[in-house]
Amino acid sequence: MRKDFFSPLLRILTVVSILAGCQKLALDELEIAERTSEYAFPVFSTRIGLKDLMLKVLKDSVGGDTIVINPDQTMTLFYSGNVAEKPASDIFRFFNFPEVPVPINDTFYPYPFNTLDSVYIRRVDVASGTLNLVVNNARNQPITGTFYILQMSKNGQPFSVPFLVPPRQTFISPPIPLKGYTLTSDNNRLEFRYEAYLPDGTRIKIDEVLPGIAGIGILIQGFTASYMEGYWGYSEYPLTRDTIDIDINQTNLKGNVKVKNPKVTMTITNSWGFPTRGVVKYLSFIGRDGKEYKLNSTVFFGDSIDFNYPSWAAGEVGQTKETHVVLDSTNSNIAEIFNAQPIRLIYEVAGISNARKDPSIVGFLTDKSTIALRMKVELLLEGSAQNFDAEQTLDANFGQVVDFDTSRIEAVEFKIATENNTPVGAALQLYFLDVQGRILDSLFTQTPPPFVVKSPPVDANGITVGSARAETFAPMNVARFNRIRQATSMRLNAAFTTAQEGQVPVKLLANQSIALRMGLKVKMRLGGKP
Amino acid sequence: MRKYILPPLLLRYMLLLKVTLIVSRGAAQQELMLYLSPETWHANTVNPALFLPEKNIFIGGPSLGLDAAHSGDIAYRDLLRREGKRSILDLSGAISKLQPENTLRIDQRNERALIGFRLGGWYLSGNWSQRTATTLTYTRALAELLWYGNGPFVGQLLDIGPSLSTIRWDELGVGLARSVGNRLCIGVRIKYLSGAAMLLSDEARRKIQVFTEPDVYQLSLQTDYAFYSSSFIAAVDTSGFGYDLSFNALKNRFGQNAGISGDVGLLIRIGRHLLLSASALDIGGRIQWKQNTAYFHSLGKFEYSGLFLPGTDILNGTVDSLDFGAALDSLNDVLNFQRADAKLTTVLPARYYAAVHWQLLQRWTLGAVLHHQRDERRQTTAVGFSGYWLPLPWLGVGVMYSINNRSATNLGLSAAVRLGPVQAFALSDNALNAITPYRSAAVNFRIGGALVF
Repeated sequence: MRKDFFSPLLRILTVVSILAGCQKLALDELEIAERTSEYAFPVFSTRIGLKDLMLKVLKDSVGGDTIVINPDQTMTLFYSGNVAEKPASDIFRFFNFPEVPVPINDTFYPYPFNTLDSVYIRRVDVASGTLNLVVNNARNQPITGTFYILQMSKNGQPFSVPFLVPPRQTFISPPIPLKGYTLTSDNNRLEFRYEAYLPDGTRIKIDEVLPGIAGIGILIQGFTASYMEGYWGYSEYPLTRDTIDIDINQTNLKGNVKVKNPKVTMTITNSWGFPTRGVVKYLSFIGRDGKEYKLNSTVFFGDSIDFNYPSWAAGEVGQTKETHVVLDSTNSNIAEIFNAQPIRLIYEVAGISNARKDPSIVGFLTDKSTIALRMKVELLLEGSAQNFDAEQTLDANFGQVVDFDTSRIEAVEFKIATENNTPVGAALQLYFLDVQGRILDSLFTQTPPPFVVKSPPVDANGITVGSARAETFAPMNVARFNRIRQATSMRLNAAFTTAQEGQVPVKLLANQSIALRMGLKVKMRLGGKP
Repeated sequence: MRKYILPPLLLRYMLLLKVTLIVSRGAAQQELMLYLSPETWHANTVNPALFLPEKNIFIGGPSLGLDAAHSGDIAYRDLLRREGKRSILDLSGAISKLQPENTLRIDQRNERALIGFRLGGWYLSGNWSQRTATTLTYTRALAELLWYGNGPFVGQLLDIGPSLSTIRWDELGVGLARSVGNRLCIGVRIKYLSGAAMLLSDEARRKIQVFTEPDVYQLSLQTDYAFYSSSFIAAVDTSGFGYDLSFNALKNRFGQNAGISGDVGLLIRIGRHLLLSASALDIGGRIQWKQNTAYFHSLGKFEYSGLFLPGTDILNGTVDSLDFGAALDSLNDVLNFQRADAKLTTVLPARYYAAVHWQLLQRWTLGAVLHHQRDERRQTTAVGFSGYWLPLPWLGVGVMYSINNRSATNLGLSAAVRLGPVQAFALSDNALNAITPYRSAAVNFRIGGALVF
């Protein structure tokens, strides 16, 4: 009995042991257990320099604006209006000779030339122009003679044109160049004189062609002067009217922005050789609220200021003089105006010659004399801001992420890390937009959005000390993640606040920047049944 | 060619090695129990001087054996579980039991054929075996990274480069033993080795480091990792962010990568009841790998910080798209394994036995055995004390208590059945583990059969 029992038991035990040890597992049929794994990886990084930001601001505003990086790395924004350049010829029009011959009604004939009423020209250097003399002989014998312009001479010789007119014929001289002649006058007129003789020596007056129409005349064409000298009396004329767009933020300007020391600089470049007074007809900022804020300043005499000019008496012919008018918080109400966040400056300036009506002043103009006026708004980037809003829209293309199977994703969490050595902090919100621009979702759910960028402390000069790091997390469930990955664009809204909650002025330096990086953690179920 | 993404690939490697520990069919182990079973013909494989008394012809059939262990307490069931007909790999339980560095070893022996003759005082023998010796050292970080992802390890430098040595070879042996008088028997065996496959990491280049920056999870991967391979892996293609591994594309034919080794053994009988024995196996065992052998080296540093968007693009609103593909292309550069033809000589682990047998009664024998094995990467020593009983003329059973490097509580069992010329046996140095391998961190067993005339 014992033998019969023991023998098969041992054999069975042996077989079972062997089978237990040799159980085969097919790897290809192996199933990986379902588990939660978490993967962390970076998404993107960027660095925004304040210099780039400011250049962007300028790029989006009117042309001619510029940014100047000062030696201490501070930056100054210049918003410039158009240069209003007025050649003298635009204002003062002389010698508008008619396009038809000027009849000379007598052997001595004074001819007044065009000037403004208050201007007396005593010397003109002719730069160009020609003169044709026309003489008609109605008689049956030839006429000889000479035509003179007594106020015009060259090398000490007065201008003269001899003529010989056969009987019953008309003499037309070839064009006679006037360049190089100097014209002098003390009464704003030219005096023409001619002497005509018959063959027997009898001096005659050229017969009229028709009753009342002189038989002699001159045609002056292309007359220009390179230099005029005389007396400019009191006369008012327009100089410029322009608008300067100073919209620092191209979008919705919100928040309490204070610019510490804004300036408006008016620069007049003047080569007119007589005293000119600028009269500010209109100088106002337009606030974001649409209201007009008149810029008042003590630098003006009333509303006027005299421009520097090259003096004839001082031998400054051909020189250019500049006049700088600076309107700042020490001499104007500009600081108060900038607290209203102006978006443009409108100005209109007129000119008055010899405003003091000094009869002793000898003035001049050359063919190159101009007066140019440039108005600039100058903002040293020093100030403070609270919730200063800006926004930017970025194209987004999530590529393959759009097609990624998210059925196994449990949750995602964005992490935003910033390192900032600018004195500006920012609360950021990122809106994900569909192709129609509708908001699909936002990165942060809380309102207001978190301060993603923190500003480091500033010293007494408003310059940051060190940098500030901030980490912000944005957890998101799968439903939200599925929405945002469909986005075709993103709108970044930023509300900037300067250091110490915008309570102290800070300086923005060109070498300051904000580094922003984003990472992503994805929790997903892996393994299990496919 | 099969396509894998890196984590699943490594996971499968680990799994393959781990499961092989449990399920491989083969034979080779520390074999304390076999050494103390002299009436089993297969004991000749551990001592060439050992022949059964009063027998003349021995024909050994296939014999399967495995000696494998994992450091710590990792058991089969910590890795695999059954749900219905599904086998599920689940590392969750195993990872918590891992040490910072873990070692898995597998020695496997598959005796294809054994034969022996007695010619007067001479004993001739021959054998054909297939053997595998594997040692894998890996970090807990590697398992955690593969299983849980890098998310939980932000800010930690993870060293994940494994050390791997696995050699598979065929062995043809010819043995000769001679009795000298009645008390001494000396045996020697010369073995011709033919390397079948080899995968050997370069210990001087084991660096694979992964670091995830706490900042915004910037990734850094640094490699200086190299391995030799013959037959196992013919090519590594990292294009497409994954690995194309060409497995076993190049088969080593018999004798292409050859070597020799030797076994020596002796028996000393003292009186009627005491028997001393000793053997040294695989002495001078070397295989020269000349054919289908390559050196793969990955050297580089990959840092991925995400896309860089110029600040001016953001300001101008000209950011085009988030194109991650281009940036990740550079990952291939650092993971790219450069292949070079190579020649290599691998040294096989040598094993040493010394034992004493004392026949206490006619059917009872007591024994003690000392085993030592050493190679370039590991050393193991074990000592066992056994009792052997012949309860029936056709049945012998044994029991052994042994101590080895990883455990002081190993209970061995053996059973040998003789039915006429047929001899069969099953034995294990750690019988409980062999019966319940699902709960065991170490497995040791051997089974086989022979015809003895």
